[in-house]
Amino acid sequence: MKIVVAIKQVPERDAPLRIDAAGKWIEEADLQWAMNESDAYALEEALQLKEKHGGEVVVLSAGPERVGSTIREALAKGADRGIHVDCDNPAQWDALGMARLLAEAIRGESPDLVLTGLQSDDLGLGQTGVIVAELLGLPHASLILHVEKTDAGLKVKRELEEGWFQEIELPVPAVLTIQSGGNKLRYATLMGIKRAKTKEVRRVTAAELGVASNAVVALERIAVPQKQKSTQMLTGSPKDVAATLVEKLKFEVRVL
Amino acid sequence: MIQLPFTLAEPDGFSLWERFTFAALTLTSAALFWRRFGPILQRILHSRKDADFRLAPVGRRVWEFVWEVLCQSKVIRQRPLPGLAHALVFWGFCAFAVVTLNHFAYGLGLGFLSPDGWVGRCYFYLAAVFATACAGGILGLFVRRFAVRPRWLGAKLSYESGFIALLIFALMATYLAAFFVADGSPAARALWWAHTLTLLVFLPIIPHTKHLHLVLSPATVFLSRGGFSRIPALAGDEDFGLVAGTDLTRLVSLQAYSCVECGRCMEHCPAANTGKVLNPKEIVLGLRGYLNEYGPASAEPLLGKYNRQEAVFQCTTCGACEFQCPVGIEHLPIMVGLRRGAVNTGTWEDEHGAKLFLALERGSNALGMSATERDKFIQKQELPIFDGTQEYCLWLGCMGGYDPKGREIVADFARVMRYLGTSFGVLRKEKCTGDPVRRLGNDLLFEQLAQANLEALAQNKVKKIVSICPHCVRTIAEDWKQYGTPPEIEHHSEFLARHLSRLPRAAEKETVVYHDPCYLGRYRDVFEEPRKVVAQAGELVEAPRSHERSFCCGAGGGLAFLGEEQGERVSQVRAAELAATGAKTVGTACPFCNSMFRDALAAGGEGAPQLLDIAQLTARNLPAGGAG
Repeated sequence: MKIVVAIKQVPERDAPLRIDAAGKWIEEADLQWAMNESDAYALEEALQLKEKHGGEVVVLSAGPERVGSTIREALAKGADRGIHVDCDNPAQWDALGMARLLAEAIRGESPDLVLTGLQSDDLGLGQTGVIVAELLGLPHASLILHVEKTDAGLKVKRELEEGWFQEIELPVPAVLTIQSGGNKLRYATLMGIKRAKTKEVRRVTAAELGVASNAVVALERIAVPQKQKSTQMLTGSPKDVAATLVEKLKFEVRVL
Repeated sequence: MIQLPFTLAEPDGFSLWERFTFAALTLTSAALFWRRFGPILQRILHSRKDADFRLAPVGRRVWEFVWEVLCQSKVIRQRPLPGLAHALVFWGFCAFAVVTLNHFAYGLGLGFLSPDGWVGRCYFYLAAVFATACAGGILGLFVRRFAVRPRWLGAKLSYESGFIALLIFALMATYLAAFFVADGSPAARALWWAHTLTLLVFLPIIPHTKHLHLVLSPATVFLSRGGFSRIPALAGDEDFGLVAGTDLTRLVSLQAYSCVECGRCMEHCPAANTGKVLNPKEIVLGLRGYLNEYGPASAEPLLGKYNRQEAVFQCTTCGACEFQCPVGIEHLPIMVGLRRGAVNTGTWEDEHGAKLFLALERGSNALGMSATERDKFIQKQELPIFDGTQEYCLWLGCMGGYDPKGREIVADFARVMRYLGTSFGVLRKEKCTGDPVRRLGNDLLFEQLAQANLEALAQNKVKKIVSICPHCVRTIAEDWKQYGTPPEIEHHSEFLARHLSRLPRAAEKETVVYHDPCYLGRYRDVFEEPRKVVAQAGELVEAPRSHERSFCCGAGGGLAFLGEEQGERVSQVRAAELAATGAKTVGTACPFCNSMFRDALAAGGEGAPQLLDIAQLTARNLPAGGAG
């Protein structure tokens, strides 16, 4: 089975974020970058499928030079080769544009399966994978926790709300967006990193893929969430206080 | 000239037939010895070269040889009675070497020491004194092995050891008896032959048994890496640690063949004492078994038939084994080496281990928390940010920055520093020093963490660091050297001990039992400083196992982050031992020990002693509020 895994590089979880002068994106200088979490799970699913059924795992990422380190990380964990789509300013590309870039890069590979994370940890739009499927005219399913290869195609487990799951079957080729937590991620190893050095990473530009940005969605402004702290004193009998507290926790704070 | 009543009797000359027999037997014995020893030597020499081996400084090696081998210091100090018995045997052998040489030379008609001459006579008397002591020593060891039967010598009686003891005793007896028979008598001849035959039987047995240490261990001690837990840098792109036979270095192979199976490592091992699979002695013997079966050129994995991965990952890296070993085996580089082999190639699969690695791949601390939690703590405690003007960089570490109890220790230590008027600051950003991943054998992560930290420290122009965590101190001071020059660092016990005269004493002295953290004591040789700090704040009580023999809390070697232990919990065994001293307080100097004992003492229920770090013991005597 030939599997393409589309991966996004996002700021590291602990990275302190600062908004840039224009107020439309974050300062990228001095930031530490990491693989988007659900993409890491997509990669893990792909590697496990390869280990079970053989085939090839191709990792695909679009972005500037820095994206190379994340591609290398995926190669170190076991992907066979990489495709790096050069684009200097990923913030200029909306979900549709990015999906077009990825779809064109995938088209040349004619894979049996395309996996990507459910959504990105930075923008969290959750659209890219789904649009890729539409552009390629392939069946797709989202929120996938587990993939099983069958004679006819695939059997996948989707996560629904409130602890419900759905199992569906679909033919290949297909596009799946993977939910975090379905597998246990493997750690990067020294041997993997050394072996990855000799693996091929092909670089292509947007122009070579015949895709222009043509963004239809523009980021107007980004802002840091306002922190709020407020105290409410509840008075009355313990019974009343408890009832009010439960009410507030349920409907105001929504933690219950 | 003084006439002494008796001297060593020798046969008066040998017939040609006797000489021929003697020569033939000697050659046979030597051949039998070599038939076994030759291949062993080949396996050692054909092992990979130790890339980082340097003979210099020779002074250190000579000193260790004299002190540990010739003086038998470790052998005696760590097990006084059997140690002394062994030393008597050893010294007997040393004194006997010349006698034996002369004995063989005499058989060929080339004797150089005559019992009639002054020198010979004196030497034979001297050797007789040693021989008597040696016979006594070996008798003592025999009684110990077959009557006392300590657990660490193994459940199975070693009859070969009994036989060897018998031979040694016979050697000494046949020598001493020769003083009581007439020179040139048939009895002298019989004794000479008995002595010879005993020697000739003894020689080929040496390489077949653990008595191989007679030949190898002096070299092992002399050639050892030195220091404590010195983990060699990986050599080249194809070195991932101890994966297969081809990764065994000469030092490792030499050490594997040097083991004398005394079981001191096992006697002090926290894993072996709490029902785990791991037994450090078996790890070393496992490598020997591997070398015997597969040899040093084999691609067969080291973790398989002879050693189990499970055992290797139960090690707390407390280093009691390495400290105890009397024949120069360095267990920690072996243990960490085997882990490196498993982790660097991805063959170690462990849910908790992978979680720790991923937390450090993606985040900054071993606890897997957000770095903003550390920021919040710094703000809350109003800890100054290091800006290059302060004297010390206060290194928080994962425990000091994220663990609730570790934070209390940091806060109290900061109070003491403020009281003393010492300027300090904390780094805005800090990553784990890499201690747990270093000990678990993840070289990739360790390198990343060490380099990122070294860079941050250099950027901030840090000159001096102080930390409450012995693991951070050790890793920064020693392990980071592989990647750069770390700033000077000290543990807060060293800092506090130096400033004791300016710190208030406790008005009422409660009893405090001090627990030596492995990474402060055995790893850094700091034993007295924390005791001085404790003595200023309370009445110091010693635990049954203390100083170099301290028993681990169970957290080291990355084990604090792995799952539930097999068998008894190491922390509970140690906590019970500390509580049993009856001290009001358990004094610690390591946030990991603290965290382990916190849970273990809580499990003890009511009446458990309180648990305080030495910084807290000091801080509680400070006047309330304000600097002094």
